[in-house]
Amino acid sequence: MEKLIIQGTKSTPYVCFDQASDTFTIRGESYPENTAAFFTPVFAWLEEFLTSEQSQRLVLDFELLYFNSSSSKALFNMFSMFERFILQGKEISVNWRYQVDNDTVKECGEEFKEDAPDLEFNLVEIEKSSRSWTV
Amino acid sequence: MLTDLYEIYQQMLREKIIFCFSGPVSQHVVEGIGATLKLKMEVEDNDMNTIQKVFSIFVEQMQNLMNYSADRLSQEKAGGDLGVGIFVVGYKEGHFYVRCGNKIHNDKLNMIKDQVDELHNLNSDELKALYRKRRKEEVPDGSKGAGLGFIEMARKASRPIEIEYSTVNETLSFLSITVFI
Repeated sequence: MEKLIIQGTKSTPYVCFDQASDTFTIRGESYPENTAAFFTPVFAWLEEFLTSEQSQRLVLDFELLYFNSSSSKALFNMFSMFERFILQGKEISVNWRYQVDNDTVKECGEEFKEDAPDLEFNLVEIEKSSRSWTV
Repeated sequence: MLTDLYEIYQQMLREKIIFCFSGPVSQHVVEGIGATLKLKMEVEDNDMNTIQKVFSIFVEQMQNLMNYSADRLSQEKAGGDLGVGIFVVGYKEGHFYVRCGNKIHNDKLNMIKDQVDELHNLNSDELKALYRKRRKEEVPDGSKGAGLGFIEMARKASRPIEIEYSTVNETLSFLSITVFI
């Protein structure tokens, strides 16, 4: 399947879904002007990939520094979609990567994990990188 | 012309206002002022959780303004329009606050009043439970976001969300929302 790459901006995350290199990553900040418009192609790609025969196992890395409430809704819907495919026999796991002092993102991960009990959801603490925001 | 700019500037310094903006709010405004706000708070050695809370409330407030302001600047080329309004970020009694004002249609005002009233007597566990319940539901009619913005702000705020409004005419009001972090 054709890979999906969306370059990151200040308010939208970098997305890379590439089966060839086994890379499935969403990284950065997410507070798009139009959340539905941003996430529609992401959901469409995942839906097609998971429906195809070639995807038996999928491991995704999420490394978000900040996301707003409508992105939180989109992520919830994404994890619900994964649970739906797991019930159909797919193996899907999420690595929720958060920086060591970012309690907000850690707690959000804990809540997603509780709300998606059928999904293998790993909370992964990572080193604090240099601050991402520049002017 | 408006009063002397220096006078306004001094008044803002006295009131510890960090940012003040009036006009059409584009995504560029939110990104640019948001980044500058984080930079300023970081330079002043605020802890990361405070910076994140202020930024988060700033973004939610801006998105309400962009979605619900009755004053619009149409930009047909870009296929959309911008909400017009005013906001300040300030510091008072040991807390940052984000205050945001715009004209709004009365039906939207009533929807927002109901949403905020519902949150006033909830403790943090109840807010958390409501947030997670609401996140599982379909997006309500008339809401451009996920209907979660006010709960998100209430969870991060240090006191209840304050709402003030005054009548503009029979269909419009001016709404101002203040959130202390």
